[in-house]
Parts: sequence; structure tokens; C-alpha cells
Amino acid sequence: MTTQNRSVIIIGGGPAGLAAAAALRQQGVEDILILEREHDLGGILRQCIHDGFGLTRFKEALSGPEYAARFVDTVQQAGIEVMTDITVTELHADRTVVATARSGRYVFKAQAVILAMGCRERTRGAIQIPGSRPAGVYTAGIAQAYMNLKNIMIGRSAVILGSGDIGLIMARRLTLEGASVKGVFEIQPYPSGLPRNITQCLDDYDIPLFLSHTVTAIHGTKRLTGVTVSQVDSSFRPIPDTEKEWTCDTLILSVGLIPENELSKMAGVLLDPRTKGPRVDEHYQTSVAGIFAAGNVLHVHDLVDFVSLEAERLAESVGDYLKQAPADEEAVPVEADPELAYTVPQLVRADRDLTVSCRVRRPLNRVRISIWQNDQKHVTRRFRRAIPAEMIHLTVPKEKLVPGEPLKVVVEHE
Amino acid sequence: MMNKQTALQKRYDVLIIGSGVVGSALARELSRYQLNVAVLEKELDVCTETSGRNSGVIHAGFNNKPGSLMAKFCVEGCLGYDVVADELDIPFSRTGKLVVGFDDEDRKKLQALKEAGEQNGVPGLEIVESDVIRDKAPAILGEMALYSPMTGITNPFLYTVALAENAVQNGVSLWLNHEVTAIEQVDDGYQVQTTQGVFESRWVINCAGLFADRVARMVGIDDYTIYPCRGEYLVLDKELGSQLPLPAYPVPNIREGGLGIHLTPTTDGNILVGPSTDYIDEHTDYGTTRSILDLLMREGRKIFPPLNPSAVIRTFAGVRPKLVSRTTGGYADFVIEHRPETRHFINMVGLESPGLTAAVPIARNVISIIGEYEDLRENPSFNPCREGILSFKDQTPERQESLIHENPDYGVVVCRCEGITQAEILAAIRNPLGVTTLSGIKNRSRAMMGRCQGGYCQIRIAELIMAEQNRSEESVMLARKGSRTFVGKVRPS
Amino acid sequence: MNKTLTCVICPNGCQLIVDYEGVTIQSVEGALCSKGNQYAEQEILDPKRNIASSVRVTGGKAPLVSVRLTGPIPKKKIFDVMAEIRALSVAAPVEIGQVLITDVSGLGQDVIATKRIDRI
Repeated sequence: MTTQNRSVIIIGGGPAGLAAAAALRQQGVEDILILEREHDLGGILRQCIHDGFGLTRFKEALSGPEYAARFVDTVQQAGIEVMTDITVTELHADRTVVATARSGRYVFKAQAVILAMGCRERTRGAIQIPGSRPAGVYTAGIAQAYMNLKNIMIGRSAVILGSGDIGLIMARRLTLEGASVKGVFEIQPYPSGLPRNITQCLDDYDIPLFLSHTVTAIHGTKRLTGVTVSQVDSSFRPIPDTEKEWTCDTLILSVGLIPENELSKMAGVLLDPRTKGPRVDEHYQTSVAGIFAAGNVLHVHDLVDFVSLEAERLAESVGDYLKQAPADEEAVPVEADPELAYTVPQLVRADRDLTVSCRVRRPLNRVRISIWQNDQKHVTRRFRRAIPAEMIHLTVPKEKLVPGEPLKVVVEHE
Repeated sequence: MMNKQTALQKRYDVLIIGSGVVGSALARELSRYQLNVAVLEKELDVCTETSGRNSGVIHAGFNNKPGSLMAKFCVEGCLGYDVVADELDIPFSRTGKLVVGFDDEDRKKLQALKEAGEQNGVPGLEIVESDVIRDKAPAILGEMALYSPMTGITNPFLYTVALAENAVQNGVSLWLNHEVTAIEQVDDGYQVQTTQGVFESRWVINCAGLFADRVARMVGIDDYTIYPCRGEYLVLDKELGSQLPLPAYPVPNIREGGLGIHLTPTTDGNILVGPSTDYIDEHTDYGTTRSILDLLMREGRKIFPPLNPSAVIRTFAGVRPKLVSRTTGGYADFVIEHRPETRHFINMVGLESPGLTAAVPIARNVISIIGEYEDLRENPSFNPCREGILSFKDQTPERQESLIHENPDYGVVVCRCEGITQAEILAAIRNPLGVTTLSGIKNRSRAMMGRCQGGYCQIRIAELIMAEQNRSEESVMLARKGSRTFVGKVRPS
Repeated sequence: MNKTLTCVICPNGCQLIVDYEGVTIQSVEGALCSKGNQYAEQEILDPKRNIASSVRVTGGKAPLVSVRLTGPIPKKKIFDVMAEIRALSVAAPVEIGQVLITDVSGLGQDVIATKRIDRI
């Protein structure tokens, strides 16, 4: 098998990969190859049939497939090369990419690799829910794929663990398709998903939401017959004698998304344990030269509009990188306030406009979030209410930034 | 009173009840001879109960009481396992094992284990110091250890499947979804009533594991009671797997009150933490419990500090068919008997650990009993070799390319985490035993066993099953009868 | 009567406290902008929603096409709309934006396809 030398290889043809490809071509980069393991482009958007996509970017409330189609059309019209039904099995630090498809085994050597593989779901095993292992336990994304893509109905009466957006969306979806959703249980004392989804997916259908609750046992030897739910204390431990039995034939788990970084790790890309995605600078370049990352593989997003913006910023940097690899300017760390779960990027070289994305760890009322370098406050934003479900972005123009000085993202309570 | 006029009467020379590892090993051994053999299995696949829910360790035999059948068959099984694993094309690695201790009391116990082992004929046992422990398994804590070079690890599910497939290859009939409900002694043997018809056979062998006492009672042997004793496990991510090259068990320290939680690498590179010990009421209650899962985590860390909650990818449980109650405690030896009142009924009860290791020697023992009563003529066309499903990701790049060229299904990666291709999934779906459950395909192909636990591949596998077997959504079963995975279509046609 | 709502117009998610009697809104408190007041009125008097679902496809590369409405409809009519969606079957090919049901349930909105499904 001969090795094919390519300029840019994009692993993943979902929103991040598509936006990056389109933006690169706009900059005049000719040799781009998208490798997508599904038969169709669009990534996770293919199964997100609800609306709410594109509100900021297109000023329209589109469904996931419609949003994806805009970018797929752009990529196709630009004649950007796409291979579908191909799975990347290896990625190396020297930017060798190995992939297999029905047509054979491929080996590529890329000048730049863009990681756009998205994320996967946390499983029942990972959170160790005790009990038996009957049929009828699904993560929300799988349930969504079965129902929306495969025309398969997974159950008739459901309980949902986790009030993240996917769980809420599935509560509505199941209800509209005639299933009975008995309740949503959230281990935190506040909902994980967006307020609009609480209203439109739960309140609208009188589906009760129980905060500070979790599923403590699963029952049924063949098909699920029910679950035990307990209240939890402030350390998330089940409180004894609060167990209640809920009869159901389906348990939907919406307990977290994890960036899919198997390939990244293989290539020696360093991950940030807070995001579980690669540590990057403002060029979205990882710790391995020439390997870049954007989208859910970098950190889990809530709005796809922002994924596209992030991928476009990445493309700008990749475009520059291809022309001449930048001088090894010192990257300084971005220090995140303890109230913040993380920041992306984690490192800054101060050689381009900077956008810092972050999330608060818990809901905060009346806070001011600012970026400082030494005693200089570069930017500040006020929030009446900041919640973990909504990613926060702060921009600083290049001129304001001082190379070599650490950046602090500070949260002040008013 | 059974209806002797029931249709579908099948006649065999030997009928085996139960297709766990012992029943399957026996089926294979019997197929070496010119005998008409059938296996009756109540579930939808082989290896559904105890045989598939254990640590997968091929024990050397130092944990068993000298002079017992357990000791004898365990040592024999361990010594001969390479040959069997090779013939059956299943994973086996003679990794050795460390039983670690921390103080003088532990040292005395280790010495006693060594002596018992030597009495049983276990080769190579030695007491080693902490430098050797650090050398063999740097992440394991311990001051001294008993090192057993003969101990190994295998995949117990693939072992049982391979035994069954080879038996079927060599002419044995396997009747899945046939639960034995009654047995009647007749002139030349037995009439066995099942949920799907009546069978007649000269010999009946009880390999019913958790339900062996019930089967024994069907012929009037009511001396035995199986006390189900559950063991829970944590399964750890492969990333941690590289830190444990061989099984490491602590010496049970009664003073500390711990259970002595075992750590065992699997042939796939995961680590098993467990099993615990809990007498339970229902024989197949495989529910895991919060308190035990927490206990496993706490205890496991005592000798394996890298253990942490984020390394757990799933949990499971197995149930031991113990012949001793909670109050009696300890072990009872294997019961392998042939009583004059129940001529030609070979009764096997209480085949808990080391049942997996001892399976083939037990089977040969059963055959020697049969051999006392009749001439066993060899089957000239017996082929001991069985081929497993080729693992694409373990092939060289050149071989991978030619495989894809021959069969493009090898180019389609279905299970991303484990690198399993569509060709392997289809081979699992087209398995020689005709098993159709999702779990059956998962266990044969290793798909869905990775860290995403089927997140990506489950849908594809379900689609392949429905297409290959031309079945509707409602008939896809997870594992047991009635474990419907889907309820229908969102939009019926 | 008194009701608290979370406004969903923009990410501020203002908590709106609405005082109303029958079909008369007496006061809306907590809105940072006038859209919030409008939203509160709509929500109390005649809440509207857009919904998304799937329609059966025959002869296509996929069994279902995802659909949504061209605009929100009264919340209380959601299941009427669903009944019409459930009963429908369309033949491939289907284009994005293709109207599959015009003026569904007489509510002034169409059901449109949101995905392209090619013919087999």
C-alpha cells in the first residue's frame, strides 16, 4: 500500500469537520480530504431532528439535518474531496493516518490533521448503576438514533436518568411517539439542560423532574421491569430510606458526553482532564505539531453554531500553518477561576485574536467574568445567571494581548 | 405421569443436560467415540450461567484440598490446557500468578498453600520477595508472594463456545431452548421430558450447574442442595490493563476482615476486580449491589493503587453452585457419581471453581465411567480442531489488505473501541450453533465490550442481525427468552 | 392567578412572574426586554410550539424522513398534528423543505421535510 501525501486530512465529517473544510477552501487551500465513517456527512446532526440549530448563525430555527445540509452543500459545491464509509484506525504523531474501507486499507501522510471526531456517551457501566442487566437500558443518543434514523421503537414506558439536553429532547420525542415518560431524575440540585428544554420537553407534557435524585438499582431479568430511585445528599450519595420503585420498560441514560479521543491518544496528543479533550492553544493546535482539534472532540458544546465558529477559527490557523509553520513562540497557560470547569484554549501565544470558551461549574447569579493579563483587564462580561449548560465566550483582539504573560479568567460575584 | 405418546421423540446414546463448560467439554469428548450424543440447554445460547461469569483463570491447583477431585482434575486441566486452547483456537496465556502477603502470618499461609500445591502435584511454586513482585507487576503492593508459574488466563465464554462448536462439528446435536422438566427411568435408560418435546437416551449426564440439584431430584436423588453464592465484579478499562500483567490475589487476612479481592487481567487486556462472596436466594439473581461494588473498589486498591472509579467500564456478577451453606462455609468437593439405583445416570453436582480448569479432566472421568459399562469405539472422523473467528485488528497490515481484498466486509469497522469489523460480526451472527441473541454475538465477536459499551456499534449489530436472520424488531433478543430489545417500529409499514 | 415562567426567547432566561385573570394579563414582572412581556402573554393565553417528528418513506434509502413545522402551533393541538404526521407516508425522493402536509390540522403551518432522502 502506497502512502498518499496530503495537505490536510479532516477526521470526521460532522459540523466541525465540514465547517473547517469549507473555511479552508475559502482561504485557497486546495488539497483537503474529509474522512467520514458513516455513509452520509453531517455527524450527530443527522439524528437531531428537533429545531434550535442556526439561531445565531442563520437567524433561523433549523433542525439538525437542515443545519448540516447547509455545510454539506458548501463542501460539495466547492468540490472538496470526501471519503465516506471509511474508518480511521490509526493516527500517529508524524501525522500518518491509517484508515480502512471496503475498498481497502489506506495510509496517508498529512501536513495537517484536523481532529473532528465528536464525542460519545457515558455508559451505565461507567457510572456503575447496580442491578440486573435486562434489555431496555439505553443511552439517550442511541435511543435517538434508533428512533430517528432506523425507525425502531425502543420501549413503551420510560424513566430518564439525567436532565441534560439529550435526555430532555428524548423525553419529548418518546412522548410524541406514544410512549409514557414517567419522570426525569437529575443527581444535581439543578437541571443540567437548557431552561427552554425544561419548558418544552417536560413542563409541556407534565413530565415531573426530580432534582437530587438518582437511579440506584435496575430490575428485570429479561426486559426491564422497573428501577429504584433514591434521593441523594450534597455529596451525591443515596440517602437511606428514600428508595421508591418506578415501573417502566425502558431506562434512558443521559449522564454525560465524553470527547472521543482514542485516535488523539494514539498520536500522543495530551488531553486536558477537565475537558477530556486535547489541550490546545488559540490556534486550536494540540501538543503534537500539525494536529488540530475543534468541536465536540475538543470540548462538549451546547450550540452547533459555536462549533462552526470554532472550526472556522481553527481553519484560519491551519491555513497559516500550511503556509509556514509558525515560529515556536512560547505558549503561556490560561488560568481558570475555581468557579470555572475549564477553559478552551488552555494555552495562549497571543499572536491572533483570542476567543476563550468556558463553563461555570455550578449555576451562578450576578457574576462578572473577565480576562486579565497582569493588572490589565482585557474584557469583561456580566451575567444575571450563568449556568453550566451554557458555554460562555469571551473575545480579546490580538492588539490587547501581551505575549509571554499568563492569562487569568476570573469570576467575580457582585 | 408423562405422556409416552408425545410426538417428536428423539433417541440418543448419551444425553447431556446443560451446555456450560463441563457439558460442552463432555459433548466434545464424547464425540471422539461412535455414540449418538445430544446436549439439552434451557437457554438461547451455551454458557449463559456460571461458566461465562467468572475470572477466566486456569488455576494451577494449590488452592484445593489434597486428595480431592477438585485438586486432581484442576492440576490435570491446567497442565493440559495449552493443547486444548490450541486445538480450539481460543485465547490462553500462561501468565503465572502472585498471591501476595504483607506480614509473617501471611507468609505462613503462603507456605501452607505452597505445600498443599506441591502435594497436589503443582510444579514450580515458589515463595518470592517484594523485589520479584515489583519485577513481575510493579503496580502491585506486597511484601512477599507465592508465585505460581503454571496459572494462566483464558476467555471462558469463547472456551465453552469452542467446545460446543467442535462437538457439533463432530456430530453432537445441540438443542437450545430445551429445558428439562422431568426424567423417567425406563427399560434401557431414560425418558427425558423437555419444554419442547421428549427425548430418550441410554445415558443421561447431569451437567446442570446451578440447577444440578433439581435435575438430580428428577431421578429421585435428593441428597443435594445447591446454595447459590454470588460474586460481583468490576471490569476495568484496557488503559489500566497494561499495569497488571498477571493475576494478583492477596492472602485473605481474617484479622483485617477483608475478602481478599482478586485482580485478574483478561485475555482482551481488561482487568477484573472481584469476585465478592454473597449467599443469595435466587439462583440466577445477577444483580450487582452498591455496597459490594464499593467494597471491591476499596479492597482492590489495597494491593492495586491505580484502581479508581473512572477506570470502570462495566460491572457484572456470577453465581457459584455451592454445595455448602453459608453457615457451613468453605468448599465441598465435586460430586461425580454413578449410583446403582440410577444406572446410567451420571450425577455431577457442585462444580464450582475450579470447574473451568477441570472441565476436560472431568469429562474424561465421566467417559471412563461409561467405559466401564460399554465398549467405546473411536470415531475415525473426529477432528479436535476448531477455528475461531479471525481477529482482523491482530493481523499485519499486509494481511489486513489482502483480507479486505478477499472480503470487503473486513474493511468496515463496526466496533470502533475494539476494532471489530463487519466480517467478524457476520461470522459471529452466522455461528455454527445457530445462536441469534445480541449477547451471543457480542461474546463471540468481542464487539460492544469496549469502553463505549456498544454506543457506536450496537445499532449496526442489531441491523445486521435483523437483515441476516430476516427478523423483525420485536424478535431481537438481548440474551434470555423474552429479553426483547425493541418493541416495534416507530412508523409501522 | 399567578404563574412563574422561564422565558425561552434568548439565553438570559428571565424568570417572568405573570399575574392574570382569565384572558387578561394584569402584570408581567422580571422581563429584561419587551419580547419577554410578549412571550409571557403568548405563553399564558395561547402557548405555541414547533414540533419535530418523522414521516414514513417508501422506496427510499432511509425508512424515515425527519420533519418539522414551518412555524409554531398552539400547544394544545400538538397531538392532533402528530396524528396527521403518523398517518402519512411519502415516496422517495424527498427534498429538504418539501411540503408534506399543507396547513396541518388547519393551523396555518405546513409540515416540511428537513432531510434529503434519495430513492433506492
